[in-house]
This record gives sequence, structure tokens and C-alpha cells, in this order.
Amino acid sequence: MTATQSPPQPTPFDALVATHAISVPDRRRQYRRRARIADLLVATIWASGAAAAALFLASGGAARFATIADGVTSVGVLAGLIGTDFILVMLVLAARIPLIDRVIGHDRALAVHRSLGKPALYLLLGHGVLLLVGYGMTSGINPIVEIGAMFDIPDMPLAFLGLGLLIVVVICSLVAVRRRFSYELWHLIHLLSYLAVLVAVPHQLSVGGILAANSLQRFYWIGLYVLAFGAIGGYRFIAPAVMSVRRRMTVSQIETVAAGVVSIHFAGRDLETLESAGGQFFIWRFWSLRTWWHSHPVSLSAVPTGTHARITVRDLGSGSRAISALKPGTRVSFEGPYGLFTDAARTAPKLAIVVAGIGVTPIRALLEDAIIAPGETTILLRASTIDETYLWNEIAELARQKGATVYTMIGSRAITGPGWMPQTDATRGVTLRGVFPDLADSDLYLCGPGAWVELVRADATALGVPEHQIHLERFDW
Amino acid sequence: MRKRAIAQGIVASTAILIVGWQTGASGLSSSSAARVTRSATDSAPAQPPKTTQPPNATQQPNPTQPSNPASALPVTPSPATPETPAPATSTPPNVAAPTQTVKPAAHPAIPPAAATPAPASGGRNGTFTGTVASTQYGPVQVQITVASSRITDVIALQLTNQGRRSVQISNRAAPILRSEVLSSQSANVASVSGASYTSDGYLTSLQSALDLAGFK
Repeated sequence: MTATQSPPQPTPFDALVATHAISVPDRRRQYRRRARIADLLVATIWASGAAAAALFLASGGAARFATIADGVTSVGVLAGLIGTDFILVMLVLAARIPLIDRVIGHDRALAVHRSLGKPALYLLLGHGVLLLVGYGMTSGINPIVEIGAMFDIPDMPLAFLGLGLLIVVVICSLVAVRRRFSYELWHLIHLLSYLAVLVAVPHQLSVGGILAANSLQRFYWIGLYVLAFGAIGGYRFIAPAVMSVRRRMTVSQIETVAAGVVSIHFAGRDLETLESAGGQFFIWRFWSLRTWWHSHPVSLSAVPTGTHARITVRDLGSGSRAISALKPGTRVSFEGPYGLFTDAARTAPKLAIVVAGIGVTPIRALLEDAIIAPGETTILLRASTIDETYLWNEIAELARQKGATVYTMIGSRAITGPGWMPQTDATRGVTLRGVFPDLADSDLYLCGPGAWVELVRADATALGVPEHQIHLERFDW
Repeated sequence: MRKRAIAQGIVASTAILIVGWQTGASGLSSSSAARVTRSATDSAPAQPPKTTQPPNATQQPNPTQPSNPASALPVTPSPATPETPAPATSTPPNVAAPTQTVKPAAHPAIPPAAATPAPASGGRNGTFTGTVASTQYGPVQVQITVASSRITDVIALQLTNQGRRSVQISNRAAPILRSEVLSSQSANVASVSGASYTSDGYLTSLQSALDLAGFK
């Protein structure tokens, strides 16, 4: 491990703070505020589930448990209401709403989205089965025959179709199954869930008596649908399209940084108004014949200026490889900025950064963007070989300007000792706490290969760093 | 922080559920003070043969319904409810109408003094056809026969018929409603659980027929 630089040098920062040109944010207060909003979001999800059940109670549902048949039917209705509510919550979580991204970040929003998938499916399957049994018991026929009877009710065939589509979507999202598909095919199948949710609407309004015409209940329920689909349509389709068209972004230059790593420079209009904080990513789409169907979630590797922006990518997938063959002038569309791997997510007074390989790119932008005091920041750069020290010179320059300390580690992973560092450092007894003496008072930003990140995280957790102080960037969705 | 989220979630959810429950409870009591929802399965003997409801005026066979309405009470298949106009219990005078469309004033109450569920006031004898009450599952219309100031028969001319399940429901509900009406001698009876649309339509049409007959 080599310390390439050490603080404290007098920097312009002190002068700026002294003249109140910049104010150092209170990280802990910022975090508490964010956490309060996050708590409210969680409470809202709970409450929406309760509201679905309350719709049933408000229609006199509490009295409909007198017999076994009624009880089964009522539980089935409840399952349908709560299951549908979960599905709508999932849509809202996947809609990339800026507020949700700022508060919990997209990766966590999508983790919650995924965790609701199976419960929602079970509830809706239960809804179907319980109602067939309940109606069947009431009419004195078996549930299988009841299916035929149900098909005769207007809107019910559509509802069955919706349930079928939902089963397909959830099965395709199981980890084991999802691995077999390319992301693009999987995503296409996943879009069927919108259809599944929509075709189920007519039977909710016409068959059940709970959402009676002109009732407050129906108003609320349709409001939920408008909210969910409005958010999806607005934030996932309309806003990115408008933004992309306005910025007129094109590829201006492809610059080879190292073997297999390129920086793509973009030209466009008003790029400084993208309002991306350093460390955030965009989902890019390059409109050439070979690349338009792939989307690439990639962080900016520099803070954009009015007419210029830059990303740096390594050819990991087949899609990324085609990128390096892009011609200047290719149109670029994008969605974003997304992510909480930014200065805004800070919770503690000190900043510790550990990055490996191409994971350096968001940190490069974050460092440029962040308001940090001299001596506040310590950076550990990690590469397997000298050829993988992408953008290290830029990091070193920024660190010099901002008074950050940079350490480097080069070499393949240690076999004994902490697996995230090279063998030589492990043998010398280097530890995470040794590199970051103030770790307990630091925000720890980690970016790199998934398995490597987990090793560092486990090390930090073992040292007692609380979870909210550890920030990871994940692109695994 | 997580603990607070869970606490907030529980408090908010509980509050919402209580509001829903209260709304449901008050909704029930306002639509009918003594509207005890009975399950149709309690009245299984009343189950008619599984045939589609005849849309014509032929009377539906109902084995459990005695022809003499005076003896209707003991054999009414449904459990006794406060609504049953047994002579001993005085029916609440301000029982609200089972449907919103029925004017409560149309049937003030059966006088407690009556020894049998007999006529409070006469009106004309004959057959009277109620208006068509349209429901989400199709039109409902009934015809009543009044003799000696008593409702002696109720025939369903039309019943909810959209889809096979709807037909099942109305076939199940109609005989129950009929026997209830004959024993209570009014449209002021509980709706059949699981067949609220059919019941509401049935009783609405029935009330209009009673009005036609001048049946008080």
C-alpha cells in the first residue's frame, strides 16, 4: 500500500467556508430528515394495505363471516384487495419517482419491489381459489365446476387472464429462471405485468359489491391506479423522452482509457441542467442499429458542463462491447439521474472511500461534486494490475485540490487474510481500520465487483460501522 | 429508525381499519336498523330445484311454504329475528327501509296489537305488478297477490340473470325472500346474504307493488 499524498495543505476551502461562500452541511441532520421520510414511506405502504382491507369493512364486510362459505368468500375478497394493493405499490416503487430515489435510492426501492412480488402473487392466487371455493360452497357445487360458472360473468374471463399473466411474470422473475433470459427479454416479459394489472380492473368494479358505482371506495381505488400508472408513464416514459429530445445528446468521441475500457464523450445542449449529483447514474441507450435494444446503467465519470458529459465503461457484457464500436454522431437517449451514491446520502462527518477497478467512475464524479473539507476524506484505490488503474490520475488530481488522502493497493486478491486486499498488504497486516482510523465516524462508500464489495462491507460491519453509514452502488438490476 | 417506521405503520393501519369498520357498521345500521343478515345456507330447505328462473308469471313451487299464511311463522325456515312480526315482540316502529329507493313511510310498522301477522290495513284485493328494479346484474320485477288484506303470494317475474352465477344466486335468494315477505307481510325483510343486488331489487319492486295495492 502506498500513500500517494497526505493532507493538510492549506486549500481555498477554508477561505470559502470563512466567507460563507459555502456552508458545510450537517450530515447527521440531513440523514435524520431522510430517515424520517423513509419511515413515512414504509408506514404509507402498510397503511395502503390496511386501507384495502378497510374498503371491505366499510362495505359491511365484518358481518360477512357468519357461515363457512361466507367466511371463505370474505377472506378471498380481502386477499384480492390487499394483493392488488401490493401490486400497485410495486408499480409505484418501480416508477423511479424522484422523491423515492432521493430518500431510499432505486436499489432499495427495487429490493422492496422484489420482496412484495411473491406475497402479492400468493394473495391473488388465494383470492381466486378462495372465491371459487366460497362461491362453490354457497351454490353447492365444487370449485372446478364453479370456474365454468365464473366464466359466464361479464369481465371474469379478463380477470382470469390477468391472473395467468401475473403467474408468468412472477415465475420469470424467480432468480433461477431469470438467469436463463437476457435482461432485455426478461424486461419485455416483465412489462406484461402492466397488462395483467389493467385487465383485472373491470371485474373489480363490476363483480364485487365493494367498489360500488359513485362510492368513495371506487374513487379511492381508481385513484390508486391513476397514481401508479401515472407515475410509471410520467417518470419512466414521458419525462425521459422529453429530456432526451431536449438535450439532443450525441456521441462526440470514444476515448480508449485502457485495454477494454473506453470513455464516451457526449455533446448536447444544457447538460449542466441535468441536475445529476456526482455519483449518480443514467440509463443510456445508443441509437445505432446494433445497440439500440440494450440499455446501460452507467454513472457519469465527470460532472457535466453545458455541452459536454462523459461516461467511462468497461466491456463487461456483449452490449458494452458494441459500445466501443459506436460512431461519433450516434444519437443518445437516457433516463435519470438515479441513485443515492452521492454526497446527499452522507450521514457522518468523515468520508471513507474504497473502490476497485471500473468502480472508480462514480467516485470520480462524486469527488468532483462533493463539498468536503480538507482532511475529511480518505480514499483507497484498488486494482488487480497496473493496467486497471483507470482514472487514477484524475482522482489524484481531485484529491490534491480537495485535500483528500489517497492510498492505493495493486495486486491480485489475498489468499490468507482479508480477501479484498492484495496478498502483500494482507501479509503486512494492513487492516481497514488502519487505513481509515476514523471509520466509526465515517461514511464508507464502496464500489466495485459485487463479491469484492461484500468482503469489504463484511469487514466494516465487523468493525461496528452501522449499516446506514455504508453506501454501495449496485447495478444488479 | 426502522422501529419508528413499524410503529407508524401499525398506528396508521389500525386507525384506517377502525374507520373502515365503523363506516361499515354504521352503513349497515343506517340501511336497516334490524337488518340481520342471514345466510342462505341456514335456509337450505328453501333451495329450489336448479332450474333457471322462469321469466313468466307461473308461480314457483315452494314446498316449504304453507298455503295458509297464518301458520307461516312456525315453519319459516329462517331463524327468528327481531324483524319477524311475532305478536309478543313489538316491531321497532322506525325500521328503515331495506333499500334506499323504498320510502320508509310506505310501511310504518305492523301494529303491535295485532294478534297475528295480519293486515294492518286493507287496500284492494287482486294481483299487482311492481316496477322493474334494474340492478347491475339485470332487471328484477315481482308480482304480488293480495287477498283479504294479506299478501298471499309473491311471484318473481324477472330476476337477476346476467351470467350463470347470477342466475344461481337469484334462484337461491328468491324463495327465501318470498317466504320472508309472506311471513312479515311487508317489504321490510333482511336481504339474503350473498345476494344483495337481487334482494335489493326484489324488495324495491315489491314495495312498489305494495304501494300500488294500497297496502299499509
